[in-house]
Amino acid sequence: MSENILEIRGLNKYFGPTHANVDVDFTLKRGEVHGLIGENGSGKSTLLSQIAGLYGSDSGEMKVNGQPYKPHSPLDAYDHKIAMVMQELGVVGSLPAGINVFLGRMNRFSKAGILNKKALYKEVADILEKWDLSAPPLNRNTDGMSIESRKMIELARALSVDPEILLLDEVTQSLSLNNRERLYKLIEKFKSMGRSIIVITHDIEEMIEITDNVTVLRDGAVVGTVISSETTPDEIRNMMVGREVEGGYYRDDYAPDFSDKVELEVRNLTVAGEIENVSFDVHEGEILGFCGLSDSGIHTVGQAVYGLTDKKLTSGTVHLMHNDTYVNNATTALRNNVGYVPKDRDNEALMIAANIRDNFGLPSVHVIRNKGTGFIHPGKVKKLSNDMVDKLSVKTTGIYQTMDSLSGGNKQKVNLGRWLAKDIKLLILDCPTRGVDVGVKAYIYSIMKEAKKDNIAMILISDELTEVLGMSDRIIVMKDGKVSGEMDRSEDLTEQKVIGVMI
Amino acid sequence: MMQKRKVKAADIIPFAAFIILLIFFAAASKGKMLSAYNLKLLIEESIQTIVVGCGVLFVVAQGSIDLTVGVNLALSGVIGMHVATMTGVGWLAIPVSIICGTLVGLLNGFLVAKCKVPSFTLSIAMLIGVRGIVNFIQTKIGIEYVPDDLRFITTAGFRFTLFAIILVAFCYIFEFTRIGRYSQAIGENETTTRFIGIPVTKYKMLAFVISGFLAGVGAIFSMGSVGGTSMQMGVFLEMRTAMAVFFGGILVTGGSSAKFYKVILGSLSITVITTGLSLIGLSDSQYSESIEGILLLIILFVTIVASRTGGRKKIVEKTPHTKEAGAQS
Repeated sequence: MSENILEIRGLNKYFGPTHANVDVDFTLKRGEVHGLIGENGSGKSTLLSQIAGLYGSDSGEMKVNGQPYKPHSPLDAYDHKIAMVMQELGVVGSLPAGINVFLGRMNRFSKAGILNKKALYKEVADILEKWDLSAPPLNRNTDGMSIESRKMIELARALSVDPEILLLDEVTQSLSLNNRERLYKLIEKFKSMGRSIIVITHDIEEMIEITDNVTVLRDGAVVGTVISSETTPDEIRNMMVGREVEGGYYRDDYAPDFSDKVELEVRNLTVAGEIENVSFDVHEGEILGFCGLSDSGIHTVGQAVYGLTDKKLTSGTVHLMHNDTYVNNATTALRNNVGYVPKDRDNEALMIAANIRDNFGLPSVHVIRNKGTGFIHPGKVKKLSNDMVDKLSVKTTGIYQTMDSLSGGNKQKVNLGRWLAKDIKLLILDCPTRGVDVGVKAYIYSIMKEAKKDNIAMILISDELTEVLGMSDRIIVMKDGKVSGEMDRSEDLTEQKVIGVMI
Repeated sequence: MMQKRKVKAADIIPFAAFIILLIFFAAASKGKMLSAYNLKLLIEESIQTIVVGCGVLFVVAQGSIDLTVGVNLALSGVIGMHVATMTGVGWLAIPVSIICGTLVGLLNGFLVAKCKVPSFTLSIAMLIGVRGIVNFIQTKIGIEYVPDDLRFITTAGFRFTLFAIILVAFCYIFEFTRIGRYSQAIGENETTTRFIGIPVTKYKMLAFVISGFLAGVGAIFSMGSVGGTSMQMGVFLEMRTAMAVFFGGILVTGGSSAKFYKVILGSLSITVITTGLSLIGLSDSQYSESIEGILLLIILFVTIVASRTGGRKKIVEKTPHTKEAGAQS
């Protein structure tokens, strides 16, 4: 057996006029954890998809264990012990979680056309237990499940083929801290078994931590490969962008810095079964960070403050101080200068098939309209969108381009920008940098810094601890739906300290 | 960075379909189609579909469907006319019809928006139930004629004035006010709309109320053209209207594809087909309905294909293939 389990030489892939992979050479050793990194659209996912048999290649060759390898479907790749967990959610919502794991491979559980679900669910549970992953209820349909549970199902599917090579495309992005830890353990275990993993993640610190080597891609081509233990986040960032990343990243001050005027006063906010007696203040120009493990309820806090949670289950007060209003439903929040950026960009935030203008305009329609006649001047909506496209430098052919043809980072700019187009006093950000690359990430941070200067109060809810630490003036840590700690920004506040309170 | 909106193939098809149909039937009928009399007839015939369609537009934009407009029109007309006949005050038929239509719309809206009954299921139930009520009433009281002091609703002057008012008013409401914008947004993504803080339930109810209101107005046009109530009132109108809407190029999913002009064009095209067939002498033959069906099928097919390739990438976008390609372009 050769040392290299996977060898790729001169791989090319075209999508119409787009050259997605340019002469890619790539080598994966046995027992190696290899990272792939690059900006959105640099061809990482395309490369993995070819290895996993989702796409064919236009030229070049792949070898697995020294044998030519040309998969024609994911099932074919499974036969070669190669499995992938995709970035986009790849489960069938109307099917039970357990069935999703063995979708397309259920023959061995069925006799005379009748499926033995019990045996199937048992097998899935065994796989999840073997790898120490948390199991969602396997007989429930996946469409009611959280992104995290659905990811677990996809992981189980990949692991069910007992892969020699595991491909993970931005899996950690969807996981909260405790499940990330479990995944890291899984990666270590894999390594110790002499198996190999290719990981894609946008989180550079994480990438360096968990991999042996990192290959950087730009515009479809390999820029270079570095040894993880010898590189720095800055080196990788510069390789990705092809120039020095300017303007810093997180805040460079290390003390809380905001006005003492309270903008939002939340008291005893409770959503039955999710959060309990959460109380806090947010001041003008303050970024208040929220972090916690997956069941901590941090995302529910954001929804409850914006009035989106079920009225029957919600109690407590959300008091906007600037015009002395209590938020009872989202319409009140919308009309009283509050903005909310949801976590699930494509399903909750944007009208994905509509154009940029309509997406920018929607939250502002009630402001633009003439109060007497109700007339919405089309020119004003157009101007608003054009201004925001310019201001946020959204990469687009114009305001009539549809959202679904934009990259993740540019979608997020629209998601955020539609609130900045308005006069807002409070902005709730739920994972604002989920699934965007460094360039856009840095940009979103700079927008937040600017909003801070404009005295906008912000609530930053995030699964990325470094981000919460890097941006917040104060941090509220939550556990099992309750506030378990509160910390001020300071130079010696470390991730370890915060994690200590989280667990 | 000002930019002109690109005209998509899907936006042109409704125009093209209308023009081609008009030319085709003009030629086939040896020019009779374009005579002043027939053109007037064409508009006269499409009035009901357009008026009712303007209301259905709001519902369709939200991604729902209202197939109750035909029976609603019949019920509103029958009740309105009966009140006018009983009281002897002719003009009462107008407000009573409109109020009746609006109330039925309100009921629809309540059931769809508050009780979460799928609009299609509800439509079918109402279609059968209300038609039953209408038939029951009509067998009891029989057909009623427009009383003398209500004669004005049969005059061209009244009809065209009311028609013009309805057109302008609802074009304005749909294209230039919140109601239209939010209805489109609900069709694009209901969750998003709710997450922004727009009262979705309220606007969903409102769409059905508007649709019901215009079905009530439609009853006045219907009685005006026939001179009274009839057993044929509103029969098949819901299908005609739905056809007109989709014919005009509005997708079943609604959203930004919903446009006011499309309803007008769709209605006109449908009427061109029916009047055209009768002009070239096919309406009496046993094939006429089959031909009508085939023509509709062809045009709907072309519209859908064009909107899939020329406009929206909703379907293909789901695969990672185009995702990556899109991200790079």
